[in-house]
Amino acid sequence: MTVAETLLVYAGAPLALVLVLALLTLVPGRRRRTRYKPGQSWEHEPVWYEPHPAGGGGGGHAATPGTGAAALGSSLFPEQGGEGTTGRSGAAQLGGDGHHGATRALTAGPSAASAARPLGGARGTW
Amino acid sequence: MTRVLDATSHDTATTAGTMPTRADESQAPDSIFSYQELLRLDEALTMSSRETGLRFTLYIGDLGPQTRSRAEELFERSAHSAHELADAVLLAVSPGQRVVEVVTGSGAARRLPDRACALAVLSMTNAFASGDLVGGIVNGLRQLSDQAGHPRGLRTH
Repeated sequence: MTVAETLLVYAGAPLALVLVLALLTLVPGRRRRTRYKPGQSWEHEPVWYEPHPAGGGGGGHAATPGTGAAALGSSLFPEQGGEGTTGRSGAAQLGGDGHHGATRALTAGPSAASAARPLGGARGTW
Repeated sequence: MTRVLDATSHDTATTAGTMPTRADESQAPDSIFSYQELLRLDEALTMSSRETGLRFTLYIGDLGPQTRSRAEELFERSAHSAHELADAVLLAVSPGQRVVEVVTGSGAARRLPDRACALAVLSMTNAFASGDLVGGIVNGLRQLSDQAGHPRGLRTH
C-alpha cells in the first residue's frame, strides 16, 4: 500500500462520508415549517379551534344556519374568507390581532357570561 | 400574472421569519401544524365534544400578561348562548409564555372538577415540555372527556 492509498482510505473515505452526511443534514428548505421547541418565542397568529357541530348542522346549533363547520366558523369569525384551514379542519382562525376577531365573535353577551359563572379550571406552566 | 409578480417581489423583500404571504399559503396553508396534526386536533376536539356533550374549544396564542383573566375573557366569547357557555370548556395554550389554562363554565365544572382539570393540565405540560404540542393537547382532551363521561340523556350516534 502506498502512502497515497493509505491516505485515501484512512483520511479521504471518512472525510467523504462526513461531508455527505453534513450535506444531507444541512440541505436547506427540506422542512420549512419549524417545530415547536420549549423556550422558543411563539410568533404565529392566535388560532381558535372549535368542534364540528353535532350531526352536521342539526344538534344544538340552531342559531347557525347551514351545515358544516365552515359555515359555523365563518359566521363566528367572518374575516377569514378563503382560508384553507377553516373548512378543512373545522377550525376557526382569528385573523389579525385577537381583538378584532374577538369583538365580532362576541355573541353571548354579558348576561350569558354571568350565567356561566363561577368559572372553574386549572392552570399549568412548563 | 400580476399577483405572481407581486408575490415574488414581496418574497425577496421579506426575511424568513415573517408571516407567509398570501401566495405562500397555496403551498403551505398552515404554518403552525401539518395536515395530520390538524386532523388529530380536529378529531380530538370534535369527538370529545360529542362524547361528553360539553363544548371543547382550543385557543393557541398569546395570553397577555394576565393569562388567567385573558383566558376567562376568551372563554366568555367562546359560545353562542348562555346555555352553551355554561357547558363550554376552553383550553388556552400559550406556547410563547409556556402557560396552559383550562377554563370551565359552571355546568361543565360540575362534571369536570378543578382537580380533574389540573390532572389533565399536568399531563399536557409534560408533553409540551418535550416539544409535543399536538400530542399533549390530544391527550389532555382525552383525559378531560374521559373524566366528564357520557351523560345518560345524550344521544350522539
